[in-house]
Amino acid sequence: MFRALALCFCLFAAACTTTDQKFADRGAPRPAPGARILLVEPDVQLSVLTMAGLDEPRADWSKSAQANLDAAMQAALRQRSHQFRELDPATAQEGRIGQLLRLHEAVGRSILAFSYGQIDLPTKRRRFDWTLGEGVQALGRQYDADYALFTYGRGSYSSGGRKVAMVGMALLGAGIMPLGGQEAFASLVDLRTGRVVWFNVAKAAPTADMRDPEGAQAFVDAIMKDAPL
Amino acid sequence: MTPARRLVAALLVALLAGQSAPVLAQQRAPGARPADNTDEGGIWAAMDKAEIDARASADVNRDPQLNAYVKGVFCKLAPEYCGDVRIYVMDRPYYNAAMAPNGYMEVWSGTLLRARSEDELAFVLGHEVTHYAENHSLQTWRAMKNRAAAFLGVQVGAALLGAAAARSAGTAEGARAALDTAEGVSNVIYLGTIASLFRFSRDNETEADRLGMQRAVSAGYAADTGVGMFKALQAETKASQFFRVRNSERRLNIFGSHPLTAERLKQMETLAPMATPDDPADRRAYRARIRPHLAAWIRDDMRRKDFGQSLHLLDQLAADGEDAGILGFYKGEAYRLRRETGDLERARAAYQAASAHPDAPVQTWRELGEAHRKAGDKAAARGAFTTYLERAPQAEDRWLVEATLAKL
Repeated sequence: MFRALALCFCLFAAACTTTDQKFADRGAPRPAPGARILLVEPDVQLSVLTMAGLDEPRADWSKSAQANLDAAMQAALRQRSHQFRELDPATAQEGRIGQLLRLHEAVGRSILAFSYGQIDLPTKRRRFDWTLGEGVQALGRQYDADYALFTYGRGSYSSGGRKVAMVGMALLGAGIMPLGGQEAFASLVDLRTGRVVWFNVAKAAPTADMRDPEGAQAFVDAIMKDAPL
Repeated sequence: MTPARRLVAALLVALLAGQSAPVLAQQRAPGARPADNTDEGGIWAAMDKAEIDARASADVNRDPQLNAYVKGVFCKLAPEYCGDVRIYVMDRPYYNAAMAPNGYMEVWSGTLLRARSEDELAFVLGHEVTHYAENHSLQTWRAMKNRAAAFLGVQVGAALLGAAAARSAGTAEGARAALDTAEGVSNVIYLGTIASLFRFSRDNETEADRLGMQRAVSAGYAADTGVGMFKALQAETKASQFFRVRNSERRLNIFGSHPLTAERLKQMETLAPMATPDDPADRRAYRARIRPHLAAWIRDDMRRKDFGQSLHLLDQLAADGEDAGILGFYKGEAYRLRRETGDLERARAAYQAASAHPDAPVQTWRELGEAHRKAGDKAAARGAFTTYLERAPQAEDRWLVEATLAKL
């Protein structure tokens, strides 16, 4: 019974949003004051973890979290000394620009897998030299920008049934079932060289629920705390 | 087992049983978009993203006439969904078509290349729109959720059994054996769950065949199209040069995710027992539609490196005597690339035959020259290479052919 109580405690205990940021090797220059930043609207996909553990996408949660993160990012940039303009990726899926946005998604996922994940690539060991290549200059020219800032949010929330099932299975001594979780990453790309100059991953605390404005604000505060902007 | 444990287990099982959502039986209303806070809305949003990626794919065939033609046939079959469904022709050499729940459809070029008339295209499109109209994706998802919940219910039972046995076993070895047994039960149950998923989609496939055929017939297409189509696909499977493909009629072959079972053919034969008389004019009209892409699609097909199937396909395409130059050239190419005993002679004969037709591609003479040269017929090789240079004075490989000519 002690084990069950301990599990219940873990379930409802509050923890802080944790972040883990990385800067490009060999001191890539920080954006100068007045640098023009292209803020790419966040790409967010959230799902509900059904009782038996299937991830079911929830379009309404994704939409509200997307809007909340976007508003919080804009507010965060407004406080800093940079000019910024926004890009809605839905308006730029065709041609070269669309390819660059997809390239960033692929590079971002690779960074998550190889610089943060369990997989250790020999060529990336203790190095952070990811780049999208100089082809990104097209993005800078098109939108008059020096840097692009991307944000991604992914995650799942347990359904009520899932939580009950988790506690029940724990009481039966059948082990722990995953309850879902949310994370977001942001990356800052130099639009002259293509280098990823800064990358940050945040895992949500229960108080940072990006589906409401306050939670999204907490998320963005954590992510942008030490951003070189 | 203590009463408390029994109560927990009973509550869990009751909760799991209450999970089952009703499976939709009625047809989808045209123009309806599901609410964002439903399971269906979530699936649509995920598919919208998949569609954006597909639209940017290099495989998309961007010929407006071809796309408009396929869409036109679709709208004849399903006028009510004409505004809901977006069709993308993908240049992929496999017999496949796919329908996403949000109304985005892919029709692969391997399907268009193998269809012999518009009737076959209509049958395929009717099949796909049935998946949409009958909400098959949502059904599959909900059935999967129910099965996953049922599976968890059995896990609850298995965990109970295992833990109870472990406690009573007394020795560590006995406990281990009991736990292994419980795990074995779980695995069997798990495999059973997976198998029933395929079973379910097979039911959907036969329903899509039946209702798709009804749509095609109402739009004026032949009723027995499916029979001829399935037989042709079976014949092509048998023509493969690979033993494993010949013997795996159902899966892991070019017919992709659609299992090609005798059972589906049988259903079509029952539904359409009378053969419709063949009309060569229908086949000619359809060929005219796909002719601009014929060579490119055949080239794609040969990249699969199953020359047994490619040669079979070329024979089928040549049945009416049209496009003899293009088809003859690629027949030569198939033999040249296959390189079995006697293939050099076969390739030479095929190029020779193709060169007599006005639609033979200019490369026919270069390859014919090369085949003559390899066979030791220098005079014929010189003639063919010279014809090649006359017909393609700007050819990129002109210098190479000239050098070969100089050595002959």
